[in-house]
Amino acid sequence: MRIELKPGVHLNIIETKQFKTTRISIQFIAPLAKATVTQRTLLTSLLETNSADYPTQANVSTFLESLYGASFGIGVAREGQVHRMSATLNLVADKFADATLLPTAFDFIQKLLFRPNVQDGAFDQATFAREQENLMQYLASLDDDRQTQAALALQRLYFAASPDQAVPSFGELDALSQITPASLYQYYQDVIAHDQIEIVVLGDVDEELVTRLAEQLPFGPRETVGSLSFDQPVIDTVQNQVETANVNQAKFNLGYHVEIDDFGPKYFAMLVAESLFGGSPLSMLFTNVREKASLAYYASSQLDALRHFMSVQTGIDADQQPRVLALIAEQRQMIIDGQFDEARIQAIKDGLINARVAGADSPRFLSNQALFHALTPGAPTDLASFTAKVQAVTKAQVQAAAETMQLQATYFLTGANNG
Amino acid sequence: MDKQTYADADESLYRQVLPNGLTVIVVPKADYHKTYALMTANYGSIDTRFIPMGSDQFVETPDGIAHFLEHKLFEKADHDAFDLFGETGANANAFTGATRTSYLFSTTAAVETNLETLLDFVQDPYFTDQTVNKEKGIIGQEIQMYQDDPGWRLYFGMIGNLYPTHPVHIDVAGTIDSIDKITPEMLYQVHQTFYQPSNMTLTVVGNVDPEAIVSLVANNQAKKQLVNGPFTRGVETDTDIATILPYRVLEMPIVQPKSIVGIKGTRDVQDDFEGLRYQIAVRLLLESIFGDSSELYLKWYDDGLIDDSFDFEYSAQRTYNFATIGSDTNDPAAFSDAVIDVINRGVDQPELTETRFKQLQRAALGKYYQSLNSLEGIANQLSAQSFGTSTIFDFPRALNSLTLEDLRQVAQEFLNVDAVSVFHLLSEGE
Repeated sequence: MRIELKPGVHLNIIETKQFKTTRISIQFIAPLAKATVTQRTLLTSLLETNSADYPTQANVSTFLESLYGASFGIGVAREGQVHRMSATLNLVADKFADATLLPTAFDFIQKLLFRPNVQDGAFDQATFAREQENLMQYLASLDDDRQTQAALALQRLYFAASPDQAVPSFGELDALSQITPASLYQYYQDVIAHDQIEIVVLGDVDEELVTRLAEQLPFGPRETVGSLSFDQPVIDTVQNQVETANVNQAKFNLGYHVEIDDFGPKYFAMLVAESLFGGSPLSMLFTNVREKASLAYYASSQLDALRHFMSVQTGIDADQQPRVLALIAEQRQMIIDGQFDEARIQAIKDGLINARVAGADSPRFLSNQALFHALTPGAPTDLASFTAKVQAVTKAQVQAAAETMQLQATYFLTGANNG
Repeated sequence: MDKQTYADADESLYRQVLPNGLTVIVVPKADYHKTYALMTANYGSIDTRFIPMGSDQFVETPDGIAHFLEHKLFEKADHDAFDLFGETGANANAFTGATRTSYLFSTTAAVETNLETLLDFVQDPYFTDQTVNKEKGIIGQEIQMYQDDPGWRLYFGMIGNLYPTHPVHIDVAGTIDSIDKITPEMLYQVHQTFYQPSNMTLTVVGNVDPEAIVSLVANNQAKKQLVNGPFTRGVETDTDIATILPYRVLEMPIVQPKSIVGIKGTRDVQDDFEGLRYQIAVRLLLESIFGDSSELYLKWYDDGLIDDSFDFEYSAQRTYNFATIGSDTNDPAAFSDAVIDVINRGVDQPELTETRFKQLQRAALGKYYQSLNSLEGIANQLSAQSFGTSTIFDFPRALNSLTLEDLRQVAQEFLNVDAVSVFHLLSEGE
């Protein structure tokens, strides 16, 4: 259930006895902007590291240990054209602690989020310097993971005309060095005052108690963000980029624009089409490119429906790149031409429904689902409706969906000797 | 059928050994939607040397054959078992470790059909020259991919330091050259020896009726003529500190250097209650000293010696056990020196106090209950311990039986500088 605490501040409660934990998450939601993502990422590091009442991370950890081994963290994510910071506390359910832990838990969250380690209008210098340095090191070494390198490079290339979308959700080096302890504290105050707030509590909890505790968090009224969905025009010329590095295995990633309506028939058709193309182990990329042709160790697609974006990632032998490109194009064409059997489509649909049902066994999935439903009123809220809409997708709709997959960008990371 | 209930955790466990030797373990989870099943062979990448069933001579099989077999078992004469799971909407997967190979599925529908599929494809091998040769391309790609992964190179670098004469130092997937030697005949031979029913377990956790599961599996097995027979493993327990390579370094095209310190276990840890107690004691000891509420962690973090990639773990497997303490760091030598200084103090650790011990014991119990949220977590852990006599549900009893004095004794023995090794991963050209 969803309760408005103040304009722009909502509490979502999921009461269940299924789990041995209680999960509390506070979501800060703001428009996605290149100018703020790096600040937001550094802010999460500072807020989770220490606070006025817990001045060292050892103090924070000791408190969590005393709370029966609870875990706390703040992360960032992008949903279409909004950005969210999520502070999450997971703790053992009251019955395993023989105590009512929620008041203590909320008190801790309030202290960390509302009483940061600040002196004279600026974040604590030493903490700031360390966390800035750590984030700098992290951002500078992203390419040490070649799959990450390829995925981020493709994103930059694909969204070249949309700077807010091109930047990683966790920020970038250039912007990091410009942030100061004082400027970040200013931005923090902006976040606390203006970000849309969604509080999600899941577990065997008393609704009245949770509501009372959530109401005590000193959030004032604020605006809500609009639609999450982002789209950009399709371009006629495919953008290609090649980079060389000292790698054993080459990476070849492709970015497609896809047509989707807001949770209408086209959305469900695309779910099925993408799953058939590369999004599942039954997909054509997996069976035909990886298994039959033995051309790749991995070859799969991912759908980012809120951005009308589908990406394909492969790990291959560098000299096979032209063959892989041709074979991937062929798989898309086969779907358009209807060269797939109904039984496979049914298995794909069953797999999508299976994943949705299985999500009900994960506190994180259930919490995120509640959040997503709060932000996208059009999305089907119940399993029966999701199932019916997936099952209703026809072969012709799948073919039409594949036709809207338009290749826009490719990124090839190849070994120095094969370049 | 044996049934154990664990009132503290609100869980129950059913266990039955079938007439053909296959052990079936079931944990019913009525509130859940999903069912997760794992079929596991007590056979992994270290088992390359053995006397096969029905022979009296040791054979040497190519490195990576257990992993190769895992890949190849899905493919049959006229179908791929992977597709059979997929046709019901289920997910299937498999993984090979140093000491075990597991095949699994998870589903919210058609549990019975998928269980039959799992049992049948694992127990009915089909290999030809053509299919075996094709697989070499796919696994070759996998081997190459791991070569580019700095975290993996660091970890395997350390295992190579601690176990230069034990086969755990060999990549689970083998090498391009070693897998090239694999033939269908070899695969049939290892399958016959190590996939005999008495060397396997089936673990099912989820929304199931234990009686019905056991009866389904028993009927399936009764229809098959599967042969059990004695075989001899060629891999011996390695607790020898004389073989340790004290230091190696590797350069890679990376930005972030890494450093890791390993400690080789000098005691043979069994898969029984005592072994479980010992493992928990080692983990609590490491948590006391290096955990994120420790003075040491705070100092190192504040000094910029480590960042939040800092991690430590202890692994105890059939024939070997070791701990690692590692981090991304800009000064790999300073990090490993600092860790060795701590190990050098032996039992003389300021963090080994009664208050801290009680606090960490309570936190560990809370984390244990939280971990039982995950069907996969329960099943993987049960399956990993399924060839021993302790289970995940013995954790609270083992944990609560420990005292600070136990940790001191473990510190005395385990924190041994002569059992230590260091591996550094540096940026190329620096």
